Amino acid sequence: MRTKKYIFLLITLLFAGILTNVSAQTVVNSDSSAKVITTTSQVSPNEIQKVDKPTSGLAYIKDSFINFADSTGFAALNWQTVFMIFISCLLLYLAIVKGFEPLLLLPIAFGMLLTNLPGAGLFNAELFAGGQVHWDNFVQKGGLLDYLYLGVKLGIYPCLIFVGVGAMTDFGPMLANPKSLLLGAAAQLGIFMTYLAAVGLGFTPQEAGSIGIIGGADGPTAIFLTTKLAPHLLGPIAVAAYSYMALVPVIQPPIMRLLTTKKERGIRMKQLRIVSKKEKIIFPIFGTAFISLLLPPAAPLIGSLLLGNLMRESGVVERLSKTVQNELMNIVTIFLGITVGATATSATFMNLQTIEIMVIGVLAFSFGTAGGVLLAKFMNLFTKEKINPLIGSAGVSAVPMAARVSQVVGQETDPGNFLLMHAMGPNVAGVIGSAVAAGLMLTMLK
Amino acid sequence: MKILAIDWGNALDVVGFSFSMVFILLVMIVIVLNLFSRLVAPKVRVHKPKLVNQSGSAKNSEKEYIEDHLSANDSAAIALALHLYYTDVHDVESAIITIKTVERRYSPWSSKIYGLNNLIK
Repeated sequence: MRTKKYIFLLITLLFAGILTNVSAQTVVNSDSSAKVITTTSQVSPNEIQKVDKPTSGLAYIKDSFINFADSTGFAALNWQTVFMIFISCLLLYLAIVKGFEPLLLLPIAFGMLLTNLPGAGLFNAELFAGGQVHWDNFVQKGGLLDYLYLGVKLGIYPCLIFVGVGAMTDFGPMLANPKSLLLGAAAQLGIFMTYLAAVGLGFTPQEAGSIGIIGGADGPTAIFLTTKLAPHLLGPIAVAAYSYMALVPVIQPPIMRLLTTKKERGIRMKQLRIVSKKEKIIFPIFGTAFISLLLPPAAPLIGSLLLGNLMRESGVVERLSKTVQNELMNIVTIFLGITVGATATSATFMNLQTIEIMVIGVLAFSFGTAGGVLLAKFMNLFTKEKINPLIGSAGVSAVPMAARVSQVVGQETDPGNFLLMHAMGPNVAGVIGSAVAAGLMLTMLK
Repeated sequence: MKILAIDWGNALDVVGFSFSMVFILLVMIVIVLNLFSRLVAPKVRVHKPKLVNQSGSAKNSEKEYIEDHLSANDSAAIALALHLYYTDVHDVESAIITIKTVERRYSPWSSKIYGLNNLIK
């Protein structure tokens, strides 16, 4: 009964929209007293110019109604915007009902909904055209989402998210088993194979680099690099990255099973050694200095990540650590999600490129998974203490979901085998690896 | 045809250089971390058993102790043992062996009558 009511309401709204749309267009053709400027995308109420005032009262009411009808978003609806609104509703469904990365997918989908509402003027892509912020028009034309988008454009949000990620990450498993860093490096294969695939499809090297970073399975890194190299692709890339990160438990297991034997999946690994507090404190300081000196473009991401980690491990700034893990992270996630979603307008989203990005995105995750698993198998040829190849797949970042997938697939073979802590090593190493890869891409392609 | 028009040499250069750089950089971190862990990681001294040669005499080893990492299980077992020892909560047996019948005190918890007749209301 309730469903029927909602369907009736929806049909009524659509009918009203179509009616308004038709009436606006009819009046434009028949009435010379009003001049309506229409574009394929959005119409601002300011653009409706009235030429002369009607004389009679009835005509005035009629014109007022028509002007009002023109000023509504319904008048400017076209099939592209309707389709984008449908896509945003689909993403909202996935976030709310299916629980796919809801913390990010929900704000992204809502941002997408807001930006595709004609006439609202919340986001104006022309203010960021050509990869630059057009400050001269910003105050006059800037909408709410334009102001919030500055945090993405200037690379602030991804770094703040990384501070929170660092504060929530325990690098202990990686420090206990430094070899896991190699698995994190091998899983970056996805980035580079995707780069080649994107170049093959005709994307520019900058665009290909941004698409390739989807393989890093690291949302903030993908957003950071894309805003620097190919800001016009930010919407599709962010949606692809976060959607596929949510689909890690679906994408990874078949590849893991395909590349390993039952015997390999059953390998039990030696318990990790204890990592002292001193080690955990010195690592973020040393890591920041070492990586940033070697690869300066990676400094914002690595510095932010390890600053958060130092806050956690030092134990002297408990309040700050809790703040970046919770309040700051949540606030920035809201801003980041809404503004990234806002870039997904019909003009930027509804083209062949988006479909290509979505397809290559799956390849990126698949190659990343395969890279980690295959290197673990290769290392087993030389090492005395065998590594369970399933932990290699966790090198694609996507903390901690990829590590959980290793644990689940491992327990299918041997329920008594606990791989989670072993997989956390490559998992956090993957975060460092993808930040390093992003820094390299930035150095070579900008 | 579009694929042939692409500058694959440049693309492969980017991939080859970047991927190898990721590896080199992370290998360098692995080496540094390994060295670092040798200096900082918590270690315990374990007594090395004396080697006995064929003639039966104990061979004096050059090092009497070897250093080894403690596993989490070992640490937990040692910590528990120390805790029990210092807080004196380990079981103290009377050490008296007897064949006398053990006298049991009455308790409503073990009473058969209560158990059978008193139904739950």
